[in-house]
Amino acid sequence: MEQFVDNLALGFSTALSLKNIGLCFLGCLVGTLIGVLPGVGPIATIAMLLPVTFGIDPTGALIMLAGIYYGAQYGGSTTAILVNIPGEATSVVTTLDGHQMARQGRAGVALGIAAIGSFIAGSIATLVIAALGAPLTKLALLFGPAEYFSLMVMGLVFAVVLARGSLPKAIAMIVVGLLLSTVGTDLETGQERLTFGIAELSDGVDFAVLAMGIFGFAEIIRNLENPETRDVVRGKIGRLLPSKEDFKQALPPILRGTGLGAVLGILPGNGAVLGPFASYTLEKKIAKEPSRFGRGAIEGIAGPEAANNAGAQTAFIPLLTLGIPPNAVMALMVGAMTIHGIIPGPQVVTKNPQLFWGMIASMWVGNLMLLIINLPLVGLWVRLLKVPYSLLYPAILLFCCIGIYSINNSTSDVIFTAFFGLVGYALLKFGYEPAPLLLGFVLGKLMEEKLRQALILSRGSFATFVERPVSGGLLLVAAIMLVIALLPAIRKGRDEVFTE
Amino acid sequence: MKSILSALGLAAVLAAGPAWAQSYPAKPITMIVPFAAGGPTDVIARIVADSMSKTLGQQIVVENVAGAGGTTGTTRAAQSAPDGYTIMMGHMGTHGAAPALYPNLKYDPTKDFEPIGMAAGTPILIVAKKNFPAKDLKEFLAKAKADGDKINEAHAGIGSVSHTTCLLLNAQAGLKPTQVPFRGTGPALNDLVSGQVDFMCDQIVNLVEQIKGGNIKAYAIATPERSPALPDVPTTKEAGLPEYQVSAWNAVFAPKGAPKDITAKLNDALGKALSDENTRKRLLDLGAVLPDKAGQTQEALGTFVAQEVARWTPVIKAAGAVAQ
Amino acid sequence: MAPDQTGDQSVPHAARGTQDIAAGLFLIAVALIAFWQAKGLPLGTLRSMGAGMLPTALAVLLGAFGIAIALIGALRPGVAFERWSFRGLLFVLGSIITFALTVRLFGLVVAGPLTMLIAGAADPQTNWKHTLIFSVVLTAFCILLFKVALRLPIPVITFL
Repeated sequence: MEQFVDNLALGFSTALSLKNIGLCFLGCLVGTLIGVLPGVGPIATIAMLLPVTFGIDPTGALIMLAGIYYGAQYGGSTTAILVNIPGEATSVVTTLDGHQMARQGRAGVALGIAAIGSFIAGSIATLVIAALGAPLTKLALLFGPAEYFSLMVMGLVFAVVLARGSLPKAIAMIVVGLLLSTVGTDLETGQERLTFGIAELSDGVDFAVLAMGIFGFAEIIRNLENPETRDVVRGKIGRLLPSKEDFKQALPPILRGTGLGAVLGILPGNGAVLGPFASYTLEKKIAKEPSRFGRGAIEGIAGPEAANNAGAQTAFIPLLTLGIPPNAVMALMVGAMTIHGIIPGPQVVTKNPQLFWGMIASMWVGNLMLLIINLPLVGLWVRLLKVPYSLLYPAILLFCCIGIYSINNSTSDVIFTAFFGLVGYALLKFGYEPAPLLLGFVLGKLMEEKLRQALILSRGSFATFVERPVSGGLLLVAAIMLVIALLPAIRKGRDEVFTE
Repeated sequence: MKSILSALGLAAVLAAGPAWAQSYPAKPITMIVPFAAGGPTDVIARIVADSMSKTLGQQIVVENVAGAGGTTGTTRAAQSAPDGYTIMMGHMGTHGAAPALYPNLKYDPTKDFEPIGMAAGTPILIVAKKNFPAKDLKEFLAKAKADGDKINEAHAGIGSVSHTTCLLLNAQAGLKPTQVPFRGTGPALNDLVSGQVDFMCDQIVNLVEQIKGGNIKAYAIATPERSPALPDVPTTKEAGLPEYQVSAWNAVFAPKGAPKDITAKLNDALGKALSDENTRKRLLDLGAVLPDKAGQTQEALGTFVAQEVARWTPVIKAAGAVAQ
Repeated sequence: MAPDQTGDQSVPHAARGTQDIAAGLFLIAVALIAFWQAKGLPLGTLRSMGAGMLPTALAVLLGAFGIAIALIGALRPGVAFERWSFRGLLFVLGSIITFALTVRLFGLVVAGPLTMLIAGAADPQTNWKHTLIFSVVLTAFCILLFKVALRLPIPVITFL
């Protein structure tokens, strides 16, 4: 305990130097500004801004990068709420209820709860990392390919639970997402699959490209054909910050979301992506009126946002203690560290305690900065919705194009987004939801990879998934959840037939 | 790419006009890195570009064009104007293994580029999970050979450095392990640390901290001399597999047809970067190996690329690995 | 957006779910394309999967869903198929493709305003004077933000 306090003290003495506070602030600000560009999520933002930090000393650079990361993450949620374009997989859930709240004139409340929820989650997660970082690392090492596969199966069950409206249609969208995830070079044999001979597709479809097309562009076209719906957003502004009542309603989901997100974030192989989905599923299941979800329920944004941020934070654990990046964002962090001559690994803690604890402390400072920067900005963002739509949407389109181009300096990516815009519009017209598709897409890549690895390691025996206790346990939970999820849905489906 | 001023508009048109007449370089140079920001090649490219910019008096802007094992960015570099304002950081994969891996490759590493010079190589290590029952390379090879496909090798995806360098090891040492593909070094390393897989080959920068921390064990480093970063790890020569010499090298290229005086100027700037105290230190801290004076010439790189293509083609073809 | 699509009170109803019929046919088409693309790939066995196993299996599954959804639409009353807005599709997607084609060729100076002006044509209410001025201002802002402040390697001007 004494050591815990000492460590944190060392960390804060580093993070709270005037220069590092300044860098943290700058990082959060720039991260927010870039992350808020439609469709540009944390990975794109960090990749774009990584070179900016090269001129700074290592500790300062990492503190600034962490700021950029949190800023981008929150910025992504802002666009998800305001214009319904998720910048990354985890903010897909935020679009569900967040954008509905914005349509009801509660954009300010949604943004406020997202900021406060993220802050609470971030603060708790920082303590978790400082206190339990090292022992928690062992958890990550318990997970082999078989365990991950089972975890992803659980994720698919979340996707089913997320579905509203027609269940067959939602499951069909998950299948489309899985199918899209198989596009590209086969992991094991290197053969090209479903690429239509297009070389640019050999690495598969980029998430940002898919999300921007299917969510963003399709939404713009639809808004253009229904002038009424777009003016609904403009007309109502409502209160800018959550009321006490809102906060009371949101606090329990925030705490539950933090717990779920923190645990899933530790798992390498991007377990963090499941956090918001798991939180949403949980909140919907325990809610008194599950029908409110998808229609602007505050719990539907508070929980997932908290889970998102907690996971974003604990995802640092495998990186800081093991030196192994669990996801693409953390892989970029490794790059940032190596360019400063610090090679992340188990020895960073002992060899470079100031950097290690300074970074952990700066996580909390970063979360505080986010709150300070974003609560005043809420008013600004909401006022953006007041801009006449006929000016707003060409601007969104231009920002999207620049963002997508900049991710990989590739014009073919821009053309692919246009294609997915067409697909997304068609899906809307056919009454399909895009959210399950995106989740299927994200899980699909991981699932196939882990399935095939597990089968290679077990030399083709499927028993490996049930024989290994952690894997078997996860599959059991998934099966139970599926049954619970399907029963009311089938019943509700019948009810709907009667009301129509 | 032109200067910011001219980009901003009309006022600068006058200034930008006569710029063409000035000697090279009159505007920022783009260096294409065919991998994502933050990877080993990107890090080396940025350190080198930083120093070269100072010598040339113009900014070298790094442009990451990742995709298809680096061949997307390399294709773009091969097809860009040979005016010296677009250069690239090539790599063992893009300029060595790619012709064998990608039958539909749109460039020829030996014919479509002007070699500028070798930048830095990162040595390859043979590592295994920490409780693998072999105390040195000889024992490891004997056990791996005896176990055949019962042993699991991890690699970071078809065509990755860890994949191709292990193919070479397997061919030279007569191993036939079961290959487990991962998406990137991180996940592969994770499963090596947790003992799900038995061994892998990869660049020192990815492994050094895990070895020092005792999470995995290193059997040999595939360079002629030991690395100062890991002085206890024997070379493959010392450990009994002298023919296994391989490094993930990175070198600067310009598109074919770039004028001689320009490529010479770039080669000179690269050479100055490699003799700059600070730049050297930053590269050596990564565990990188720098070329000696003889290895820094344009001719040396040209010959080396031809050798590399000739070396990787049979290894990859024999393994039946094709990425397209 | 999508969530309330089918729940809206304004959605026209029909004796047959023409929307579902179309939706089902759409899935069948996607499934056929995927099946055709995956045809040449080795399936392998369940124990040792080939590259084609998963795409083929998913395509078959998707086709089955398509048939089921189309049948539901054909057999039960439901939501009518909506009209498509071809104006929006043409100009919004057209502006994006224009950006892709012009940004490396001419740079942001040309691609920026052009993209916004083409996009503007998608909306009948567009005030051309405003859009033109705004497109120039916003392009200048983007150049300052991305090129000057953040130093991204995006082409700004490639002629001159």
